[in-house]
Amino acid sequence: MNRPMRVLLAEDDPNISIIARLSLEKIAGYEVTVVTDGEQALNEALTQNYDLILLDEMMPKMNGLRVSQEYRMRCAAPKPIIFLSAKSQDSDVREFAAHGTGHIAKPFDPTLLPQQIRELLEEPA
Amino acid sequence: MNSIKLKLFLLMSAIAGANIFFAILTYSGFAEFREQRRQLELSRDLTQRLIQSENQFAGAINIHKEIRNYIPLLHPPRRSEELEKLLMAAQKGRVSETRERHQVLVKNEFEFQRHTRDQLSYLEDKTVYFGLLCIFSLLVGLVLLQIYINTAVLRPLRDLARKMNDFLHDRYTYQFSVPGSDELGRMQATFNALAQRVISNMEQLRTLDQAKSDFLSIASHELRTPLTSIKGSISLMRSGIVGTINEMADNLLNIAEQETDRLIRLINDILDLAKIEAQRASPQPEWSSMNSLVTISLQSLKGLADQAEVKLLAEAMPPLEVNMDRDRIQQVLTNLLSNAIKFSPKGGCVIVHCEINNQHQLVIEVRDQGRGIDPQDQEAIFEKFRQATSANNPLVKGTGLGLAIAKALVEQHGGDIGVRSFPGEGSTFYFTLPEWRYSSIKNLEAAA
Repeated sequence: MNRPMRVLLAEDDPNISIIARLSLEKIAGYEVTVVTDGEQALNEALTQNYDLILLDEMMPKMNGLRVSQEYRMRCAAPKPIIFLSAKSQDSDVREFAAHGTGHIAKPFDPTLLPQQIRELLEEPA
Repeated sequence: MNSIKLKLFLLMSAIAGANIFFAILTYSGFAEFREQRRQLELSRDLTQRLIQSENQFAGAINIHKEIRNYIPLLHPPRRSEELEKLLMAAQKGRVSETRERHQVLVKNEFEFQRHTRDQLSYLEDKTVYFGLLCIFSLLVGLVLLQIYINTAVLRPLRDLARKMNDFLHDRYTYQFSVPGSDELGRMQATFNALAQRVISNMEQLRTLDQAKSDFLSIASHELRTPLTSIKGSISLMRSGIVGTINEMADNLLNIAEQETDRLIRLINDILDLAKIEAQRASPQPEWSSMNSLVTISLQSLKGLADQAEVKLLAEAMPPLEVNMDRDRIQQVLTNLLSNAIKFSPKGGCVIVHCEINNQHQLVIEVRDQGRGIDPQDQEAIFEKFRQATSANNPLVKGTGLGLAIAKALVEQHGGDIGVRSFPGEGSTFYFTLPEWRYSSIKNLEAAA
């Protein structure tokens, strides 16, 4: 196996980020960087080389959808974006699909999170 | 001064006044005409008698007594005087004077007749003229009245009726105009005030609706966030990646995890129901295949059914399309099916059956072989948080909202939901959908 996959996790709730990080590092063996608001997420995503970006939808300063829009506009070769959101209405889900690779509903099961991410990444875009 | 009543009164008075004025002129002309004609006849009579009296007795004029009767009738008085003098002269036997007066009188009467004939034709013209003016003024007055009623009453009324109709049909493009100060203006002002209130109420409702939406969205986020942490912590602990835990602790964690799941389901259901009841999530119906919806619903519940060792079957049905919001109807069918699975005994069978009832509605039935539902519970189970529980029917895990949600969704589609059940013989839950059609061959080909 090559170098571990580098994941940017943008999540404002510290408890959820602890759980998601634990799951991604211990179960999937990813390398996880956590940021807590939309601006940091955008900065990190644009300046560092991540393989995957996990965005909470509701974040301080900039919500997930806007981060994704800005990032895709400014980045020449954008990396896959997956939204983590408690919003589960059809219209929201359609929006997530339009702005990213996919969406994982909160509350998520951390033992299944790596598998859900793999499935979303393997799906033809 | 600006009241329609006063204006109408003034207009009617003017019309009536003009009419009476011309009518009086007409009548007075006619009365004078009649009087002159009488005088003319009298004069002719008189002259004839005078001439006769002359002819009868050549030389001596014998004035008949009857002629005296004319004296008070003649007009103007000068003529009576002349006649009186003649009679006086005749009585006194002054022959030459009598003859002279007789001649003058006859001559004067002829002169009077000629003058009166002219006068008569003038009076006739005058009567006709004023009579026509009388009719004409009445017509003009009526036309003016009609125009006034049209502009001051009927047009504003029509206008107001149109605006009211717009409101009735939810078109709120109301242009507020400054109302006049008459009765209709006051009505218009009242309507304006009403309209203003309706519009501001609507805005208030929209604000409330927005507030409710915001609340739903915040509530769902705020409730789900801590649950995500709780559920995540438990499930990571149980997965063993943070070290092994003993069996007792695992059992406790299992309970915590199951109850957390239940809480999550409950919150999801409450939020769903709130959304449906707020009509915020209005259905977006389109024609879609019922057959594939049944197949997909059965597939999605296969895991649950296998776990409960229950068989899921769909009876054969003709290709049908229904005008529906697919996701919602799938939720209805899923709720009914998962209930049926939950209440089925091991090795039991759950059957989906579609048919057209005698009201030409599509009926979808879900039959189970559970223990059935007591008649007194059959209505209550569609209410929120009601499950039919009794000694021989212990609470089965669920939120008690599945049927309430299904009912709300079916009613959004204009259908009915219900159950037929006898204790011990299983239950048949059914719902109806009014807008359905057979799939045409063209559609089938397109689908294939």
